[in-house]
Amino acid sequence: MKEEAPCSERRRFLRQAVVSAAAVPLLPLSARAGTDKETSLQVWSCGGLAEAFIPANTEYERQTGIAIAYTGAFAAALGKSLLGSAQTEVFAPRVLDLARKLKEAGKMLYFKPLCFTQYVVVTPKGNPAGITSITDLGRSGVRVVLAPQASPPGGDAVKVILKKAGVEEAALKNTVIQGSCVQTIMDDVIDGKGDASIVEMRLTRVERFAGKVEVISIPSEFLPPPPLPFTIGVMKYAKDRDLADHYVDFICSEAGQRFFEQAGFIPAVSEQGKLLVNKLGVHDA
Amino acid sequence: MPKNLIEPAKSSRLTVLRRIIQLGMLTLLGQWSYYGIFRCPFPVPYVSCTNCPVIACPGASATFFWGTWLAIPLSVIVFGRAFCGWACPGGLVVQLTGMLAPFKVRVKNMVNAVAPSGKYLGLMAGLYLWLVLENPRWMVPIRVGEFWNSLTLSFEHAGTLWLVRTFLVFAFVVLGFGLANVWCRYACPTGGLLEVLKRFSWFRVYKTEACNDCNKCLAVCEMGTRPAEVNCTNCGDCLKSCPVQAIAVGRKR
Repeated sequence: MKEEAPCSERRRFLRQAVVSAAAVPLLPLSARAGTDKETSLQVWSCGGLAEAFIPANTEYERQTGIAIAYTGAFAAALGKSLLGSAQTEVFAPRVLDLARKLKEAGKMLYFKPLCFTQYVVVTPKGNPAGITSITDLGRSGVRVVLAPQASPPGGDAVKVILKKAGVEEAALKNTVIQGSCVQTIMDDVIDGKGDASIVEMRLTRVERFAGKVEVISIPSEFLPPPPLPFTIGVMKYAKDRDLADHYVDFICSEAGQRFFEQAGFIPAVSEQGKLLVNKLGVHDA
Repeated sequence: MPKNLIEPAKSSRLTVLRRIIQLGMLTLLGQWSYYGIFRCPFPVPYVSCTNCPVIACPGASATFFWGTWLAIPLSVIVFGRAFCGWACPGGLVVQLTGMLAPFKVRVKNMVNAVAPSGKYLGLMAGLYLWLVLENPRWMVPIRVGEFWNSLTLSFEHAGTLWLVRTFLVFAFVVLGFGLANVWCRYACPTGGLLEVLKRFSWFRVYKTEACNDCNKCLAVCEMGTRPAEVNCTNCGDCLKSCPVQAIAVGRKR
């Protein structure tokens, strides 16, 4: 996945600043123009999905000519804003409870399963400590790197995984670095300051880290359900309901979901995703 | 004219040239300044870019990050605080607002003698936050987003300390409408760092032995100083102000 060049980012920034400033006096007019077809859609999502949403939005814009105004940030923070007075037209939160809360509050009209995150063990290239499974993190002499204070659910989820694998105490004893940021611990693993860590698969696909670590899967029975699912839903503030539905349908289609797979997520439309939808009860009921 | 002197350009032309360069640098670096103040989750911006989740920020995509920012202190070795006077986007904003300020404080007094030390306090606070406290995150970063949405969400989900830091910077900018260039002269931590290093600079604007202390240069200086003294940014605005041609540009021996 390629990041945009600084020049095009700068142009986009300047364009957004100018368009946003110019749009302020026009707000009352646009509010009255409810019958016109919308040419833009406001989409918010959990920040962890940004690497998937950015290219997916570009593809949607290319296909439809609709401009996607996208914001990605910590889902709990965005959820708090949306449960307050903030508004957006489409929202893709992490954790099923948040989607349900927004729906109960009458802010979200419906939601669909979007994708699932997956946790993996990462080691430096060449796997010098010979890690073969998560249980090896409890093996004597293995240097473990963790980020217990990382933004939720990062740190907490890893503790639950270690506990379910039966190696929590031993792995914590082996911990040589306790970071507060998952990106920093990726650097620590890449630099060989530790032999292994547990991170979300999506991090190993970020351009900065791609191909720089070995990835070992973790059996699904060790994964805690709450942080795994991501959903996408249309909010009651959608100015053009058909457009919002169309966008959500695109994101949930095979064409849209490939961006999420490339970014390290399990697409909800995949066979594994369908199993997880049922297993974790990701239904809008 | 001694051999080591560069023929100074006419001050007015030089000022126009400087403004053009400043506008160019505003286009080039303005976005970074915006992110540094309003979107950076860390108290000290521009030093933790490699582990920052704000992917929309140009600092995150600049793999040449350290080279870029080392260029500023290295520029001091060549031409003192010229970055402040010629390139800093914040400096341009401060200088333009300073033109409207009723209090220019272009005199030698206690305020101008003591207050510039505030820059060093800012520098020490920045170094402490960065090197001792490891630049903790003080707000929920908005990874990518629309201009206004990101701005409002940043403030909405910021911690108290981030708000204090940001409003402090903002307060100095507002104060600049009354007291000219107050941020650059008395508070900017980067200016403090460059001020410390500028004594090693090869080239500078300086007073020759012909100086008669008339302070005409002080009266035209946006920073309320004299050539080569504290807060001189080598902007060159004073070059044509000296009645005895005692201001030169070049290597002072």
